[in-house]
Amino acid sequence: MIRTEEMLLNVGPQHPSTHGVFRLLVKIDGEKITEAEPVIGYLHRGTEKLAEDLTYTQIIPYTDRMDYLSAMTNNYTIVHAAETLMEVEIPERAEFLRVIVMELNRIASHLVWFGTYLLDLGAVSPFLYAFREREEILDLFNELCGARITYNYMRVGGVKWDAPEGWIDKVKALADKMKEKTEEYDRLVSGNEIFINRTRGIGGYSADDALAYGLSGVNLRAAGVKWDLRKDRPYSIYNRFQFDVPVGETGDLEDKYRCRMEEIRQSIRILDQAVEHFPEAGPVMAKVGRVIRVPAGEAYTQIESPRGELGCYLVSRGKDKPYRLKFRRPSFNNLQILPKLLKGENVANLVAILGGIDIVLGEVDA
Amino acid sequence: MMGLLKGMGVTLKTMSKKKVTYQYPDEPVGMPDRFRGVQHFDPEKCIVCNQCVRVCPTDCITLTGRKHPDPGKRGKIIDTYDINFEICILCDLCTEVCPTEAVVMTNHFELAAYSRDDLFKNMEWLHENNTEIRSENNVNAKR
Amino acid sequence: MSAMTFLGPVVLLLLVLGFVTIAILFERKVLGWMQGRVGPVQVGPWGLLQTVADVLKLLLKEDIIPGKADRILFKIAPVIAFVPAFAVLAVIPYTDRIVFADIGVGLLYFIAISSITTIGILVGGWSSNNKYALLGAMRSAAQMISYEIPLVMSVVGVIMAAGSLNLTEIVKAQESLWFILPQLIGFVVFFVASLAELNRTPFDLPEAESELVAGYHVEYTGFRFAFFMLAEYVYVFAMAGLTTVLYLGGWNPLFGWTFLPPIVWFAAKFLLIVFILFWIRATLPRIRLDQLMQLGWKVLLPLALVNIFLSALFKEVSGIGNFF
Repeated sequence: MIRTEEMLLNVGPQHPSTHGVFRLLVKIDGEKITEAEPVIGYLHRGTEKLAEDLTYTQIIPYTDRMDYLSAMTNNYTIVHAAETLMEVEIPERAEFLRVIVMELNRIASHLVWFGTYLLDLGAVSPFLYAFREREEILDLFNELCGARITYNYMRVGGVKWDAPEGWIDKVKALADKMKEKTEEYDRLVSGNEIFINRTRGIGGYSADDALAYGLSGVNLRAAGVKWDLRKDRPYSIYNRFQFDVPVGETGDLEDKYRCRMEEIRQSIRILDQAVEHFPEAGPVMAKVGRVIRVPAGEAYTQIESPRGELGCYLVSRGKDKPYRLKFRRPSFNNLQILPKLLKGENVANLVAILGGIDIVLGEVDA
Repeated sequence: MMGLLKGMGVTLKTMSKKKVTYQYPDEPVGMPDRFRGVQHFDPEKCIVCNQCVRVCPTDCITLTGRKHPDPGKRGKIIDTYDINFEICILCDLCTEVCPTEAVVMTNHFELAAYSRDDLFKNMEWLHENNTEIRSENNVNAKR
Repeated sequence: MSAMTFLGPVVLLLLVLGFVTIAILFERKVLGWMQGRVGPVQVGPWGLLQTVADVLKLLLKEDIIPGKADRILFKIAPVIAFVPAFAVLAVIPYTDRIVFADIGVGLLYFIAISSITTIGILVGGWSSNNKYALLGAMRSAAQMISYEIPLVMSVVGVIMAAGSLNLTEIVKAQESLWFILPQLIGFVVFFVASLAELNRTPFDLPEAESELVAGYHVEYTGFRFAFFMLAEYVYVFAMAGLTTVLYLGGWNPLFGWTFLPPIVWFAAKFLLIVFILFWIRATLPRIRLDQLMQLGWKVLLPLALVNIFLSALFKEVSGIGNFF
């Protein structure tokens, strides 16, 4: 009589495909997963608690380090929350700059996802191609605000720097270039039979499940729920732009891939419009005091980060520091569905499904 | 099968294209003017207002000052000014608040060292770090 | 027994080691170029000494045997993996004169010996006492069983056409037409199956880096690891050689360009195959284990059988029968 038993496999915290310090305890029966338990917290820095001791300006560099692949949206969420309570009018030029950098950052973030996801699936080149284009976006950021990852660009009331000479033209050139590059990615990956075989019909879930688990962003849209905060709860000046919200049907990995690639194209569309209507001149900072005091009150602001609904719940007691600050981090919420998705799956699908969620550990652990 | 071949075509085409990587340590990489690198500090300009210390999110700046030795003059002069680059995140807030542009950013970013002690930079070091200084620093003060 | 009997293999071994050194560099260069990079450039002119430096590093590294490993099997596994890889080179005819063992069942010998390597991988994965290594080893065994059969079946067409298992005879039978044309189905099946045999992308499941970290050799360090790597690249050498011999007419020249010596023709075709292997690695994602099995059993094996049937059928048709 052969006795078989389940094997406990410890994936991470040091594993090439966990995208950071993320640990996953998987019970496997042969190559089939019977149970999966995510273990998080290796990168926890207590940003929310630290923020209670920091002024609003000082919090901004901390938000850079939450979702380090799209620091611009993180910057925006905190300044947006403070501005909502302060009811300040943001100058037109600053709003345009914010939209441009956030959309550029969305493209950069999706490019990283595209590259690392294909790397998870075993293809090496798309990773390098995606980073080649991302590099140009980072160079633009470097020129604009002097940093490539941790921008610390937005301020309560506007943005720190105005666009330097010729920067807007470079954004335009980049948008045109990205149109070609997305087609190259399509040729390289989208029709690849092995890729389709590895993604189609895998890791799918229903729209009800997605809503029940509180998923947002592409993870929600891939399941067929048309919900994009840029359209449904417009913030900044997004209501002025024309763009489509791509949705999938089954929530499987292929739908997620197609949604993200389409979002890159839609972001390029927004960039085109923003560059075209970019105000000639004007201030980039509203009139706010040197010391920012936010009136007492509570505000919850939600924005569409590349990963989903990035919320910021701010409680102010009228001081120059927040009384309590809470970030609703989309990666953390999206991760919750992982054990359900992994159950009964093949081990080879583990990294594909985990990668499909698109988590950033800095954000999960905050 | 066609999808695979198309992909193969893309990689083959890239093979003959121009390479995009930098030969970094051999050839220096130029940074744009606004780049936030290691700070330069000018003791002459400093008025010991302590704003940079207060604004620093990571508390990496420490400074001491004393009364101006010339009894006729008001204000203070700087004694020591240290930045601990173990924890400095080069967030640019210190240069943003400095009213006299005594602390400004440079384009230097090569900080790697074998010892943590080497990352503790004092006033002399920061003063000597005086090349490639950023042209605009305190945009808000000029406004 | 001439001096060549002893000296020949030594020369070949050195040659193969030289090839492996160059091949690894070439692979990294090709990967680099295809990814918009320049590849290794630091060690030596044009990065030529990169692999030498890497091998030296591996030799100097501490030899670690995990505490809970099966020591004897752990030590013996790289040997089991490497020896067959080198042994199969004996039967490959590089030209009509340079062949080390011109045995009658050369092709059979090649395929039989090469499958021993999988035992080395299995032993290595099991004795490491590591879960990732075990999974990688199991995958390797499953993969070998699925692909050995289509591989053998696909070459039956060639054997029928040449009427011999001797590799020299097979090359001589291709003087008028290379087997790649009449045996196109067989070639495709053989090429895919050989990719799987080599554990190369898109069939690199046993060492799938993103899933199993490094698969069966995750616990190996230093020169034992080097032996596994060496076995892998010697197989690249052997398989590219075998493909050249079976389907690309070995040392036979193209367009009757006999002014180039046969060895150059062999090398040119051989390098083309090696390049294609690297090119595939630069492009394709990894296939999943169950899909790999399906591909092996449901697609490649029937195709190989159809190929045998068609070859036998066309052989009887007058006119084109000569080519089959």
